[in-house]
Amino acid sequence: MKCGFCMSSCPVYAIDHIESHVARGRNVLVLLGAQGDIIRNEAYRQSLSYCLVCGRCQATCPAKISSADITVQARSQMAHEAGLTGIQRFVYRGILKHRSRMAILLGLMARIPGMSTKEGRPLRHLADAAALFSRGLSVPRLSKPFLGQRIARRTVPPPGVKIRGTVAVFLGCAFEFFFADAGKDIVATLAQAGFEVIYSSELTCCGLAIYCSGDDETARLMAQTNMDALGSFDRIITGCATCSSALKKYGSWFCEEDPRHVQAVTFSRKVQDFSEFLVQEGFQPQPASQPDLVTYHDPCHLRWHQGVTAPPRKLLTSLERMMFVEMEGADACCGLGGAFGMYHRDISLAIQVKKIDAIRKTRARIVATSCPGCMIQLMDGCRRHHLPVTVLHISQVLQGRTG
Amino acid sequence: MQLHVKYRSYLTGICTMALPTDVLGALQNIVGSEGMLASGLDLAAYSFDGTTNWQGMPEVVVFPTTAEHVSAILALANAQAIAVTARGAGTNVSGGSIPTAGGIVLCTTRMNRILEIDAANLTATVEAGVVLNDLNLALSRRRLFFPPDPQSFLAATIGGCVSENAGGPYAVKYGVFKHYLLGMRAVLPSGAILDLGGRTMKNVTGYDLPQLLCGSEGTLAVITQVTMRLLPQPAMRQTVLAVFDQVVKAGEAVHRILASGIIPAKIELMDNWIIRRIEEMMPLGLPTNADAILLFECDGLPETVTKECAAVIDLSRQAGAVSVRAAENAREAENFWTARRAGFSAIFGHAKTVLAEDVTVPITRIPELIDRVRKLSREHNLTIVIIGHAGDGNLHPSILTDKHNIGHFTVAERVMEAIFSAALELGGVVSGEHGIGLEKRRVLKQAMEPEAIALLRSIKNVFDPKGILNPGKIWEDA
Repeated sequence: MKCGFCMSSCPVYAIDHIESHVARGRNVLVLLGAQGDIIRNEAYRQSLSYCLVCGRCQATCPAKISSADITVQARSQMAHEAGLTGIQRFVYRGILKHRSRMAILLGLMARIPGMSTKEGRPLRHLADAAALFSRGLSVPRLSKPFLGQRIARRTVPPPGVKIRGTVAVFLGCAFEFFFADAGKDIVATLAQAGFEVIYSSELTCCGLAIYCSGDDETARLMAQTNMDALGSFDRIITGCATCSSALKKYGSWFCEEDPRHVQAVTFSRKVQDFSEFLVQEGFQPQPASQPDLVTYHDPCHLRWHQGVTAPPRKLLTSLERMMFVEMEGADACCGLGGAFGMYHRDISLAIQVKKIDAIRKTRARIVATSCPGCMIQLMDGCRRHHLPVTVLHISQVLQGRTG
Repeated sequence: MQLHVKYRSYLTGICTMALPTDVLGALQNIVGSEGMLASGLDLAAYSFDGTTNWQGMPEVVVFPTTAEHVSAILALANAQAIAVTARGAGTNVSGGSIPTAGGIVLCTTRMNRILEIDAANLTATVEAGVVLNDLNLALSRRRLFFPPDPQSFLAATIGGCVSENAGGPYAVKYGVFKHYLLGMRAVLPSGAILDLGGRTMKNVTGYDLPQLLCGSEGTLAVITQVTMRLLPQPAMRQTVLAVFDQVVKAGEAVHRILASGIIPAKIELMDNWIIRRIEEMMPLGLPTNADAILLFECDGLPETVTKECAAVIDLSRQAGAVSVRAAENAREAENFWTARRAGFSAIFGHAKTVLAEDVTVPITRIPELIDRVRKLSREHNLTIVIIGHAGDGNLHPSILTDKHNIGHFTVAERVMEAIFSAALELGGVVSGEHGIGLEKRRVLKQAMEPEAIALLRSIKNVFDPKGILNPGKIWEDA
């Protein structure tokens, strides 16, 4: 239990070397908290916040202890015991839970000139005003219109491509409101692979951010909404590593005594990540429009939570005219970790700079990834460090976008 | 002199600071606010090490980044008679870095620069907080090799390894930390910064002070920088796995191989309990009914490795191995060694408290030691797992227990003492690589003459007259 191997893989410990910020130390605090030896107060909540929930420590742990889960459970317990903060309650239960409310709110914001983009580079100009609320993290501009208004409820394969089946897509909030271009490319790629793609407007946020912050009750309600919307489909594809890791874990969000447990387990089994699914189906992408050099960043939620590493690389290397180059530490966290990136800005930036250096060394012109959260952090980092690299979702690379 | 900090019961939990605010202020002036932790929760995370049965709360944790910081901290603590416990990653398994006297934990993890790798002279100079694995990665890029390999190398710091004189599987052929230590920078409690030893293989200049500090468990000085000897990387490595139906035969195999003039780089032993746990965690196809497994590594020039492996296989068979074979490829070899590393964690994962010792006997006495451990295990109905470095006589009999189950724990402690006695009777020592720390203080009297212990105390007194450095470790207060 105390070998400390997690110290070798924890991105946060690598920056500040503080024992209570690494799995071994935090697990001891959680244990002491459970035994009543320490008081679970605001300071305790703070300690718990120093985890990115990247899951890397579990991979290094010889006993395979899921320390990220332990942290999330402890946060949940805090939320039950001490209650959520007013802001948390407002954001989680008032907004994130209801996609319609998010659409209205963000729709209003999108009307402000400069806050949105029809297509193209998402990080520019007036949207920077929003960075005031994110402690300096560049917030992407809103997509105008949102994804729901850009794509059909049902997309069929292009003429000449044989229909091989039907898939439902779960595209998540980031694609819906911020990266609608990429969302469209995910759907287009799946269609090119021979699948009829169903887009449901009944979905809400996957709930992971809320679950990880400890409000598991709200998260379960959201999971229920999503299961009801997509439960009738056999295959559910996500383009967001965070969403797929959440959807694949819905089964464990509902305890075995819960009547919804079986439904959730069944639902989780049908979920696959975009690249995982395409490689399984033997998809061969169109050659790239121009010769280019691309590298790939492993999102923690794909690499450590789902163990998916080969498929995205296979897709990128199979692209004719595109050269793939591996970056040093491709599987190292980008440093965002959802709200972590805002709560612990200094640590987040220190982790980010390592990633940006690794990208710089590859001399690649495009960095592809599979998670919009990572995209935001990488875009922010490239901009902050003046690195002329285009950050794209892997589907955008497959569709020949070059930024 | 009476230390001004109180011994604090762990269970009183997080409470107000006992160190006066002016001391905290002075420390903050030295290391800055970002170099200091004083909140109860942060401190609780420094109340333990790699063991599962010792805890003690510090009153403040400081992160110096230079020898000058260390000097200022020690001078301050010395003037005020405040206890200082130096700590690297806290992966030690003797209780050695636990601040049982409260006071200051001086954490070296932010002194983590590799200062120089001198390939021409085969030396490396690093700061004390460099993680062994980080050094190994930097060395392997230059085809250099630093053999001592405590199995905590993923997290353990060089300063901690030197202070514990750590070693690992490579000790059979390559020795332990002390065999590679050439020089160091160390800070005395007075605040004096000393450069000891040098950077040459040979050096007979007065008493060998670096060797005195090596293994002194942070009781004499704080090491801030270390210069070590390196080797070129062996051209080839090969792993051999031998399975035995009786552990005695495994012991016989080790004896025959070493007597034949072959020194494998590693010879590791795992018992049946470990084999079964490994198969549960990561199926490698090990026979779960085997009584013991030996894992060998031979390294060197390809011709040598081929010949040595053939001899190891042959001699293992002659000693009665049920099956023996070389790893098919590098991947399989890596799997075997990962399994070996996972062994310890498997032990710790299966009990609330584990008494994991590191008794060491002359290699020919290993089978006897194992027999006696097993007899104790049967007599007292305890699970005692045996894993260890068969090639150098260093075994880790690990008793699975629970410190909250007083009855069980008392028996476990008694049996552990019987194992210590057994090791001493067989001509061995109570600690091969973990150090005495807190865990084995009570057996020091059995292992050393009273005059020798008095000598230890006198040496300590010369370096640290006020007794501020890691008080309460190695020997029990008289």
